[in-house]
Amino acid sequence: MGLFDMLNVSASALSAERQRAEVTAANLANAETTHTDAGGPYVRKEVVFSATNSSPFQSVFHRLGNFGQAPGGAVQLTEVVDDKTPPVMRYEPGNPDADKDGYVAYPAINPVTEMVDLMGAVRAYQMNASAVTAAKQMIQQSIDILKSS
Amino acid sequence: MATTPLIQLLQGYLKVTADRQQTVASNIANVDTPGYHTKDINFQAAMQQVMNEGSQLRMEPVSMEVDGLPERPDGNNVNIDRESMMLAESQLQYQMGVQLIKAEFHRLLTAIKDGN
Repeated sequence: MGLFDMLNVSASALSAERQRAEVTAANLANAETTHTDAGGPYVRKEVVFSATNSSPFQSVFHRLGNFGQAPGGAVQLTEVVDDKTPPVMRYEPGNPDADKDGYVAYPAINPVTEMVDLMGAVRAYQMNASAVTAAKQMIQQSIDILKSS
Repeated sequence: MATTPLIQLLQGYLKVTADRQQTVASNIANVDTPGYHTKDINFQAAMQQVMNEGSQLRMEPVSMEVDGLPERPDGNNVNIDRESMMLAESQLQYQMGVQLIKAEFHRLLTAIKDGN
């Protein structure tokens, strides 16, 4: 069923982009966090996307039997990785998190980078939402064949 | 086995168009996936495959990568303008196929009702 597979593909992208926006929002929220459970400042997170193609066996199986085409490449968020950039040191002797020299480690987060990333996620989300609308209209049109003319 | 040859043809046309739409959706879904390459379905070859109903092992249309699109530094070459155009295009093609099927069924009904 091509049309319903298409909904699944777009839904996977909606989910992935939403999680990307969540991670970006967490980065923005913690841009000044110097104290975490793990100790040290908050570490900037980044998402890793990967295309999920069905296994070679599955796609050949789908093609040779009359089971329709194997679902097209969806996307999934495979992992959330830590940014390896070292923290930014600011001289704040009065801060309770300051080291013995009076420097406080702040996360290396640039709000501009995060905002651009957030906008990218939102636009990609919108694009996939239009793909969902297109799929829904196509399904609706197929249903309309049944309507008495 | 479809009622009339035209309906069988249009059935194949709708299938190819829906598969193509799915490929476009997949391209849009992977717009931020590093190393992903734009895929498309060869319309003519896919139509021939779908219409070839003779053999038991019917091959399904297979997507392939599109050449000539500029690649971004992360190895991804999805062009969002191309994809949104393709999305609209295949949606309209699908709509046309549906309208033609409806018209064909209407003709059948007219024949059944003896022109009334």
